[in-house]
Amino acid sequence: MANDRLRALEEVENQIATILQCAGNIVLELSKDKHNASFLDRQLSQFTGSVNRVETELSSQIRYLTQVATGQPHEGSTYSARKDCQMALNRAEYARVKLGELGRTCEVMLDPQP
Amino acid sequence: MANQRALPQSKESLLQNYNKRLKDDIRSILDNLTEIIKTAKVEDETQVSRATQAEQDHYEMHVRAANIVRAGESLMKLVSDLKQFLILNDFPSVNEAISLQNQQLRSLQEECDKKLTSLRDEIAIDLYELEEEYYSSSYGQWDSSDLPLCEAYRRWDSWASPDRGATSGSAQGVEEDTDGPASQETTPKHGTITAADKP
Repeated sequence: MANDRLRALEEVENQIATILQCAGNIVLELSKDKHNASFLDRQLSQFTGSVNRVETELSSQIRYLTQVATGQPHEGSTYSARKDCQMALNRAEYARVKLGELGRTCEVMLDPQP
Repeated sequence: MANQRALPQSKESLLQNYNKRLKDDIRSILDNLTEIIKTAKVEDETQVSRATQAEQDHYEMHVRAANIVRAGESLMKLVSDLKQFLILNDFPSVNEAISLQNQQLRSLQEECDKKLTSLRDEIAIDLYELEEEYYSSSYGQWDSSDLPLCEAYRRWDSWASPDRGATSGSAQGVEEDTDGPASQETTPKHGTITAADKP
């Protein structure tokens, strides 16, 4: 859920870049002696569409934040679960080390050096 | 120093500020581009000379283009602030991310412990068999004076069988320090395990 909203904001950033790109192309085309009308129309419609999308999306995000934000810091944590998992992995590693030592001891006992 | 530090804005004022910035920047982009397009139109009649008018138009377009770029950059900053605000204050998604992470960590921990438990059970079975083999061989003989009673009874029970006579020369740990009559006894009695304990 959070990733979707962050991805939407990433897309808004791309749209803002598109807005500036289209504005630059329009000004560049107007600077020429002979203008390409269809190119200008395309760029202008793309510019207008991007501006509308940016405004709509950002307004929607601000509206959502108005509803869910409390102003208080979030005090949730994954520390205890992470610690328990880390201890379990330590137990498994310890068992692995001990079994390794046992295996080496058995090999030494079964295959004595000449 | 503490008096000079600005107080944190409330949530509502912050979001209103975001709204205002959004409206202002969008309005700035649209207005400035509109004015650039209007200025690009060549007027036949001008109040000043063509050169002066051209210079003025050039300067105006320069400024308006810079305004468009500034507004675009301000919008990018707004998006960055919104991302930060979202990460810190979007409690539903933060709660979901925390619970998902907790669930993943707990399942990993349970799987780890389950595998360790099954490993322990397998090793316990093998250890039991190895112990049986070891303590029934000549290498596993204990001094009967140090032997705990329960261990002595357990081994006595395991040896109280017809095969005991065939193994009398090897598996005689309990009877090691006892004389002949102790080896002939078939049932253990309290205090009769060693010669020193005989009445």
